[in-house]
Amino acid sequence: MLLTLTDLSAEPLQSQIIRQIRASILAGELEAGASLPSIRALATEQRVSVITVQRAYESLEREGLIHSRRGKGFFVSELRNQEKKEMARQRLEENIGPHIMSALSEGMRIQDIRAVVDSVLKHNGAKQGVTK
Amino acid sequence: MTAAFSMRDLVKKYPDFQLGPLNLVLEPGTVLGYIGPNGSGKTTTMHLLMGLIKADDGTAEICGYAQNPDEPVWKADIGYVGDEQVFYEYWSGEKNLEFLSQFYPTWSNPRAAGLAKRFDVPLKKPVRELSKGNRVKLALIGALAHRPRLLLLDEPTSGLDPVVRSEFLDVLFEYMESGETAIFYSTHILSDISRLADELAFIDNGRLKLRRAKDDLTDRWCKISFQLPGNNIRLPGIATQRHEGRDHQVVSFDREMTLRHLGVLGAENVEEHRMGIEEIAVQILKGGDNVADSQS
Repeated sequence: MLLTLTDLSAEPLQSQIIRQIRASILAGELEAGASLPSIRALATEQRVSVITVQRAYESLEREGLIHSRRGKGFFVSELRNQEKKEMARQRLEENIGPHIMSALSEGMRIQDIRAVVDSVLKHNGAKQGVTK
Repeated sequence: MTAAFSMRDLVKKYPDFQLGPLNLVLEPGTVLGYIGPNGSGKTTTMHLLMGLIKADDGTAEICGYAQNPDEPVWKADIGYVGDEQVFYEYWSGEKNLEFLSQFYPTWSNPRAAGLAKRFDVPLKKPVRELSKGNRVKLALIGALAHRPRLLLLDEPTSGLDPVVRSEFLDVLFEYMESGETAIFYSTHILSDISRLADELAFIDNGRLKLRRAKDDLTDRWCKISFQLPGNNIRLPGIATQRHEGRDHQVVSFDREMTLRHLGVLGAENVEEHRMGIEEIAVQILKGGDNVADSQS
């Protein structure tokens, strides 16, 4: 599991950890049952405080992506592909919602917004392997 | 688990300055940043914890032990690095460490040697010939070789170059990995501990203003800009506020509460901007008592 954290982002370190681990799980890079580094090990490795990692793990646990076993640490939860897709879809909706609303308030038409989505997919989607 | 230290109503009085009463507990496995301007009482607090000066009132316990001057077992649990390092200047680093080792039953020579190698400190040289960076490294070796449960750091990185600073912090991150040790780290350079610290305690003019998990501070403090007609808008959770016409800008220490009220008032174009820990610290320290009290 490789995380890339930066202090130069407006996004807090905790959210960066959550987002990157979530992406690895939803994309299937981290498989069900795989163990995550211990809180202290990840804190040391990433040079962040223990509380930051602890809260990131707790948040992923609440989302149902990981679970803890007493004394054994954290593991990737068993999720059906359908559930993963649904989670990813929900997140997209949450993230894109406000942007679409502000685009509408700035006078964009629905078909123009769709065209922007298509163009983003065309330019960036190909690199990331859209088939997944 | 026994607290790394626990201060109860600790007071130190000087003719023109009073520190405390301080009530502060540090749990093992935690890094507590101690933030305050020069002269706010940070070093005095460190000296009280080490027993270098005597409190006028209150008590402090170190790893469960009372600070009994006749039975200094509690001192064995402490490691200390200050902003000035006191050594026998004409002795080599090696001889200084050997001298220190006699006072600590748990001292480990391999551990000291390992740290020295890693830091690349020339142990054979007389200490007076060492650079500032190497002196601080030597002090950290001396502070960690007996695996203390409590590490007290008093502005340890002041005057160090970025490379030494980062080596120093690396060692601290590793020291914390076991989860059994604790660090009390005083500084006014927030960037040094912005990643390391779990919690921050703010002190000003001898008084503790606020103590909070660092992530809570960065979650709750933010700048909010919005548009609303009117000059005299009263919002809860606000540290500072300014406006030009209907454009307003506030610094909030309770993001959710402020946003909720803005929603009720019908503010438009509400935008949030995150604040770095350095900006937040400045706000807390200059923010007067309303910021501290309303959060405690």
